[in-house]
Amino acid sequence: MKLSIYRFEPESGNPPRMQAYEVRPEAGDKKLLDLLMRLRVQDDSLSFRRSCREGVCGSDAMNINGRNGLACLTALDGLKEPVVLRPLPGFPVIRDLIVDMTQFFAHYHSIKPWLINGEPLPERERLQSPAERERLDGLYECILCACCSAFCPSYWWNPDKFIGPSGLLQAYRFIADSRDTATAERLDFLDDVYRLYRCRTIMNCTEVCPKGLSPSHAIERIRLALLRRSS
Amino acid sequence: MRLFDGQRAWVIQRISALLLLVLIMLATLALPFAVPLDFSAWRAFAGGALGGPLIALLFGALCAHAWVGMRDIVLDYVQPRGLRFFVLSLIAVVLLGVLVRVLLSLAAVALAA
Amino acid sequence: MDRHSRRLPMFLNLAQIRFPVGAIASIAHRVSGVLLFITLPVIALLLDASLRSEDVFASLRKLLSSPLYVVAATVLVWALVHHVLAGVRHLLMDVGVGSELARARASARVVLLAAPLLALLFLVWGLS
Repeated sequence: MKLSIYRFEPESGNPPRMQAYEVRPEAGDKKLLDLLMRLRVQDDSLSFRRSCREGVCGSDAMNINGRNGLACLTALDGLKEPVVLRPLPGFPVIRDLIVDMTQFFAHYHSIKPWLINGEPLPERERLQSPAERERLDGLYECILCACCSAFCPSYWWNPDKFIGPSGLLQAYRFIADSRDTATAERLDFLDDVYRLYRCRTIMNCTEVCPKGLSPSHAIERIRLALLRRSS
Repeated sequence: MRLFDGQRAWVIQRISALLLLVLIMLATLALPFAVPLDFSAWRAFAGGALGGPLIALLFGALCAHAWVGMRDIVLDYVQPRGLRFFVLSLIAVVLLGVLVRVLLSLAAVALAA
Repeated sequence: MDRHSRRLPMFLNLAQIRFPVGAIASIAHRVSGVLLFITLPVIALLLDASLRSEDVFASLRKLLSSPLYVVAATVLVWALVHHVLAGVRHLLMDVGVGSELARARASARVVLLAAPLLALLFLVWGLS
């Protein structure tokens, strides 16, 4: 299979370039990551992140033939050749396919991704009804791979101010949680031209989410919650 | 810039959109009855108790809607602070100019009638 | 940190990114909005002129039925129809109607096709 991969070596002082590769998939190679691992044997200078190789850790997010995805979940079958691999768009590149996620995680932290509950601790755990628990479906599964935020033009233009689809999905995950009592503060924080309202609902986020989640739907719910609160 | 912040800008955009939608549909429905339009009928409509306020409302909604939309575009694509302020001011001046021009024309027709 | 003192490159070549149909409908929404914004002062001046006198009204009417203006108006018809349809699509999606991915894709396609089609219809009608 032919590949064309974005290379950037910071020590060399050279600008990024595309490098052509050719590698023969072997029996049992199903996903793009399998091929990348073979490439590394060929060229051990090629750098990318990976860990669990099954779509749970979220570290091998990259731009694959113009769309963001996880290499470990992208099937080799049906991939157009040469397979063009680039780092996540709009993120500073540290080396080859490895990007700097500092800002992305800063946005995640800004939405306080933990349960806030000022009420006295119950003797046992805080219980949820099955219906309350169900409201977290489609939200809690996010693995923070950044495929969505790095495919969102609003995030590209204002990466320092717009929280981005991933952070907003996480924000709604805590707004929707029956055990969290800080909904009002969370909504106050989000009611801002930049943090929430840069979203124009083009749904690029939902298009590329490797976990099949819909950040745009979460954003829609946040906007409606804000609307309900102020009316 | 803070005048239309966060949710307020979003709500203004939606409400003006709904208003414009209704007005455009009304205009489309009325069009077959208005063509061919002659000068005196057009002037009577624009200076009338129904037409004048409707046209004013149309341009008011257009300007509010255009302001939110154009500002969104500027916030995305124009990052340098000075340039951004300049472009936003230019947009505001154009929209205010449009609104004043239309209101003055309508007032002139209404007063002459 | 030394990482931040260096200037890091970034991949953001829009020509090398494959945009989904929703993104195309959205950028067209922006382009059409800007076109309409630019036209707004012209419309205001036309409105003003058309109310001034019988003669100006008549000459404006002649001007607006000339082929050149019909072609220009066709572009504006596209802009208006696209902007209105895409806007209705967004208003519905705001309240959860058609905001599911498959439906959103379908409605984006409908909007992208309907606007040029109606503009073409206008052109044919205007030139005939």
